[in-house]
Amino acid sequence: MNRRKLALPIAAVGTLALLMSGCTSGGSGESSGDPNAEFEFWSFTGIGQKDSVERYLEKNPDAKVKLSEVGSTAETATALTAALAGGRVPDLVMIQNDELPKFIENPSNFIDLRTLGGDDLGEDYLDWAIGEATAEDGSIIGIPTDVGGLGFAYRADLFEAAGLPSDPDEVAAMWSDWDSFIEMGEKYTAATGQPFVDNVETTVFFAAVNQVSEKYYSPEGEVTFDTNGEVEEAFDVAVRAYEAGISAGIAAWSSGWAPGRANAAFAVSTAPSWMLSGYKTDAPDTEGLWRVAAVPGVGGNWGGSVIAIPARAKNPEAAWQYIQTMLTPEAQTEHFAETGTFPAAKSALESEEVLSYTDPFYGDSQIGEVISESVLQFNSFLNGPDTSAIGAALLNTLVDMEAGNVAPREAWSTGVSSAKAALGG
Amino acid sequence: MTATATAIPVQKKARRSDRPPRQVIRQPLAERVAPYLYIAPFFVIFAIFGLFPLLFTFYVALFDWNPIGEQTFVGLANFERLFADQRFWNAFVNTFGIFLISTIPQLMLALGLAHLLNHATLKMANFFRMALLVPYITSVAATALVFAQIFDKNFGLINWMLDIFGIPAVNFLSSQVGSWIVISSMVMWRWFGYNTLLYLAGLQALPREMYEAASVDGASGWQQFIHLTIPSLRPIIIFTVIMSTIGGLQIFTEPLLVAPESGLTCGGGRQCQTLALFLYEQGFGQFEFGYGSAVGVALFVIVVVVSLINFFLTTRTRKAR
Repeated sequence: MNRRKLALPIAAVGTLALLMSGCTSGGSGESSGDPNAEFEFWSFTGIGQKDSVERYLEKNPDAKVKLSEVGSTAETATALTAALAGGRVPDLVMIQNDELPKFIENPSNFIDLRTLGGDDLGEDYLDWAIGEATAEDGSIIGIPTDVGGLGFAYRADLFEAAGLPSDPDEVAAMWSDWDSFIEMGEKYTAATGQPFVDNVETTVFFAAVNQVSEKYYSPEGEVTFDTNGEVEEAFDVAVRAYEAGISAGIAAWSSGWAPGRANAAFAVSTAPSWMLSGYKTDAPDTEGLWRVAAVPGVGGNWGGSVIAIPARAKNPEAAWQYIQTMLTPEAQTEHFAETGTFPAAKSALESEEVLSYTDPFYGDSQIGEVISESVLQFNSFLNGPDTSAIGAALLNTLVDMEAGNVAPREAWSTGVSSAKAALGG
Repeated sequence: MTATATAIPVQKKARRSDRPPRQVIRQPLAERVAPYLYIAPFFVIFAIFGLFPLLFTFYVALFDWNPIGEQTFVGLANFERLFADQRFWNAFVNTFGIFLISTIPQLMLALGLAHLLNHATLKMANFFRMALLVPYITSVAATALVFAQIFDKNFGLINWMLDIFGIPAVNFLSSQVGSWIVISSMVMWRWFGYNTLLYLAGLQALPREMYEAASVDGASGWQQFIHLTIPSLRPIIIFTVIMSTIGGLQIFTEPLLVAPESGLTCGGGRQCQTLALFLYEQGFGQFEFGYGSAVGVALFVIVVVVSLINFFLTTRTRKAR
């Protein structure tokens, strides 16, 4: 480890410095006003925006788009932050919901889309999805492109071998709430000697904590996660699932996760709509063995994103034309059919194409119906600037508990203090 | 002999005072400026990309700095927070833990290997020398992914081998020391070849006759290593120790990629989060540029202090001998 290591911190502060020096000059905002002018579009990888751009160009042969897939959702948000702080901003950018609150907090960096599309702009979309993109002053800075409707994927063959029902409707009825889910896991583990779920932090805690009516913030915007009984209960469900001995303790995206899916190391795992294609890549040989069923409890959501126009965009007109063309309910339905990203437009969620969607990889389970239902039942709650930091701290405590470093009884207090440390208090 | 030897300095002295100094220095302006212009590019670039960001970091550390929102002056509050922050001290301990268990064995291994390669009458010696650089040119990201897989609890190669001998699986990444070992092995694998080549280059400059003479005098390979190789490599050893210190204390990519499931913390309990990673988490994960910069300043101070200590330790042992 030698010289190259110097590069990183220097690059980090270097970027910082460059951003600041660019800050003063500011943007000219010389809008060309031409809706077919070339505009720059930043997306993240894995969300299929290339398809979307191609279809846009079919519909608008005169338009010109420069699409950059910047990186992961977090990397894209970092790049956007850097750009907003003083660099050259794109005309259109995708922001993942976890990253969104920090941008919503400073709405002056973006164009209030109501000024382009009128006050009823948000009506087509799920209330909570448009709510996440609405700033305190009422300005709407993002149009929801998709949501992360939640289902659970499970192995029908392993369920059968353990003497459990394998039909998605029967399974969903059997694990209607979290206690019965844990009970079912205990039966499975007793019958097979194998763990039931991959891990308790993403599969149990993430699903359960998004079923609350109030999450880490009160409706007034105060941080209340540590006193909110609903959050503690969701956390406790995860702890109970761990204590029941039904978890494989394989964290999502850890090195053992993909092989675990392929090798029947667990029978149930979380499956938000955008993750469904991941199972196919990780475990192609298990085709037809998986099913998708509704999650225990009431609906759920994990992820989703919006699309926004920075205030200093050079060609806001062109970006707006793209939004108008590609984010209508019809266009979102089309995009779903191509890439499987779940629409955020209300009428799209009720459309025949979405509701009837199935996939042979998942044994033709009614994926469209299950996930659409899950999204429509999803509660809305306020996400604040530190929502993702608090969530990460709690999640990491559970990861650490599964690794045997935190006693289950102390997990909640450890999680709370680690989240408070993240908040700087 | 002695007369001429002492005469020369006297003569020089006399000549120097004889001449009117101005005439000697007088040169055309271009000639006087030229050397500075030749070295200017480095200093200009250093000022822009090295010095300015460094000073700017000190400045930003005094603010609660939101890159896309408000910037408020908070004085030394970021540093007060830092010293009270359990996460900072945890990262501090991790950084030194990883640094120690990767650097020391690594440099010792490199020394021994360089000695062997210099000495051996190997066939294809050049091939082996070049092969040492292969880990160095491999991308860190690829290295991290492969090592994470090798050490995986459920499907890793190491646990599979342990299983053959009936030893239960070890969850390396879940414990502090275990994750240090994983990261250190990555660092060692990547850098020992580089250091070996540095040592080897130093050894190649030594006359072969020295070793031959030592052999004739009956010195064993080990004695040659201790009494010839190590002393003659001292300047290079100092160099590698300092460079490894700077690099080791700033280790970033390996802990970032080895436990991707927990984001920027390297494990649910931050068991392998290093200072550089903590800096990145605060600055670019949480967008707390002020606090992140305070971590950067602290890291800067730590690197300078440890490098100085190392420098004095390694140069002192020479005088002691």
